[in-house]
Amino acid sequence: MTDMKFYGHGLPNVEATHLSGKLIVLEGPDGVGRSTQVALLREWLEAQGYAVFTSGLRRSELASAGIEAAKQGHTLGHVTMALFYAADFCDRLEREILPMLRAGFVVLTDRYIYSMMARDMVRGVDKHWVQSLMGIALVPDAVFYLKTQVQDLVPRVLSTRGFDYWEAGMDFLPSSDYYQSYVEYQERMLRTFDELSVEYGFTVVDASRPIEDVFADLKREIGEIVAELKHKEA
Amino acid sequence: MATLPDGTQLPGKLFIVEGIDGSGKSTQLDLVHKWLTTSGYLVAFSEWNSSPLVAKATKRGKKKQLLTPTTFSLMHAVDFSQRFQQQILPALRAGAIVLADRYIYTAFARDAARGVDREWVREIYSFAAKPTVALYFRVPLDESLRRIITGRPALKYYEAGLDLGLSDDPYECYRIFQGRILREYDAMVDEFGLTVIDAAAPLVQQQEIVREILRPHLEGALRIEPNPWRVALGKEHLTGRYLDSLTHSGGQSE
Repeated sequence: MTDMKFYGHGLPNVEATHLSGKLIVLEGPDGVGRSTQVALLREWLEAQGYAVFTSGLRRSELASAGIEAAKQGHTLGHVTMALFYAADFCDRLEREILPMLRAGFVVLTDRYIYSMMARDMVRGVDKHWVQSLMGIALVPDAVFYLKTQVQDLVPRVLSTRGFDYWEAGMDFLPSSDYYQSYVEYQERMLRTFDELSVEYGFTVVDASRPIEDVFADLKREIGEIVAELKHKEA
Repeated sequence: MATLPDGTQLPGKLFIVEGIDGSGKSTQLDLVHKWLTTSGYLVAFSEWNSSPLVAKATKRGKKKQLLTPTTFSLMHAVDFSQRFQQQILPALRAGAIVLADRYIYTAFARDAARGVDREWVREIYSFAAKPTVALYFRVPLDESLRRIITGRPALKYYEAGLDLGLSDDPYECYRIFQGRILREYDAMVDEFGLTVIDAAAPLVQQQEIVREILRPHLEGALRIEPNPWRVALGKEHLTGRYLDSLTHSGGQSE
C-alpha cells in the first residue's frame, strides 16, 4: 500500500501520508474458518519477521460495548445498527488500523466493511446508502473471500457455539425455527457476498477444502504481497 | 405535512428548531410546546443526542477523548436514527405534532465545521423526513457568546471544539468553532428552505412570530382530551376527588 486510497470521500483531518504497511482482509460467512486462518497466518508471518496486527469487527473501544448491549435488547432498527457498526469500524480504522499501517505493520482483519454491507443489504437497507456510508473505508491491498456452501457451515456452527440469533437472521426473517432461518439467512448472505465479490474484486478461496489447503493458498497469495515490504527500501 | 424522502406525505406535523448555542431556540420551542399542549394537541418531543442507548458510548468517547470528527458524526447519526425510528416517525404516522430540538441540520452544520465531507453527512441522514417547518434562530456570534459564557464555569472539550486544535484557549476555540457553525447554518437557509427567525429580537416577540408561522400548519393535527373523565364526572355529579392523587402521583411534567 503506497498511497492512501479510500472507497469514497475518506476521512477528514487524516494526513494523507504514505502507508508503509499492508492491509489484508479475510471475508466470508460465520463458521467458514476465518479466525483459524488469521491465527495461522499471523504466526507464519511473524516467524518470517513481519510485524502483524490483527483486527475484527465489533472490537472498538468506542462502540463495541454499546453494540453488544443493543444486540441483547434487539432494540435497534437496521439503519441505526448499520450506523453503529460504522462508528465501531471508523474508530478502529482511525485509531488502530491507520496508525499500524503507517508504522509498517501487516494488518490482518477478520472481516471488513463487506460483511457489514452484506448484513445490511440482506435486511433491506439501501445498497447505495451503505456504500456511501462506507466511503470512509481504506481500500485494502487484498481481500480474500473464503467461500463455501451453507451445508458445510452447519456442522461447524453446531459443533462450536450453536446457532446465534443474529447469524440466523432471527431479527427479520419470518421463521421462528432456528435451523430454517439460519439456512435462509446464510444463503442470502452468500448471494450478497458473491455480488460484492465481483464488484470489489475479491480473491475467491474455496474454503470447503481442508484447513491446510486453504492455508496453503492464502500463504502463497499473501506471501507475494508482503514480500514487497522486504524488497523495498524504506 | 412532514414528507419522507420517497415523497410519502405523513399525516403528522414536524416542527424543528435550529441555531447555534445561545440562540434561544430551546426556550422558544418550550413555549411552543406549552402552547400546543394547552391547545389540546398531542405533542411528541425529541431532543438531539438524547437516546439512552448510545448515550453511554458517546459519554465514554467524550470522557476519554476518543472521538474523531467522523466517529463523532456517526455516533450522533446512531442517536438520531434511533430517535427517528422510535419516536419521530411513529408519531408522524399517527398524525401527531412532533417538536424536535435540533434536527439533521445540526449534524450538517457541526460535522462540516469539523471538516467532515458535507455530501457524505447529507447522504447518511437521507432517510430523515423533511420537516413541515424548520425554524432557524439566527443570532450574531457575539450575542450568543455573551449568553452562553455568562454564568458558565468552563466549556467542555468537544463543546468548545478543542478536538480541532483551533486554539489552546477554550474560549477562543469556541468562538472560532461557533463561527464556522454559523456560516454553515447561513448557507443552509436556501439549500433547505429554513425559516429564519431573528433571535436577537425580544423573546416574547419572537414567540409571537413563531406562533404565527406555525398556526396555519396545525389544521388536522391529532388532538387529545387532556382530562377525559370530565364528562363522566359531570354526568354523575361527582367531584373526582380521588383523581387528583392519580394525576399528581404520575410524576411526569409536561
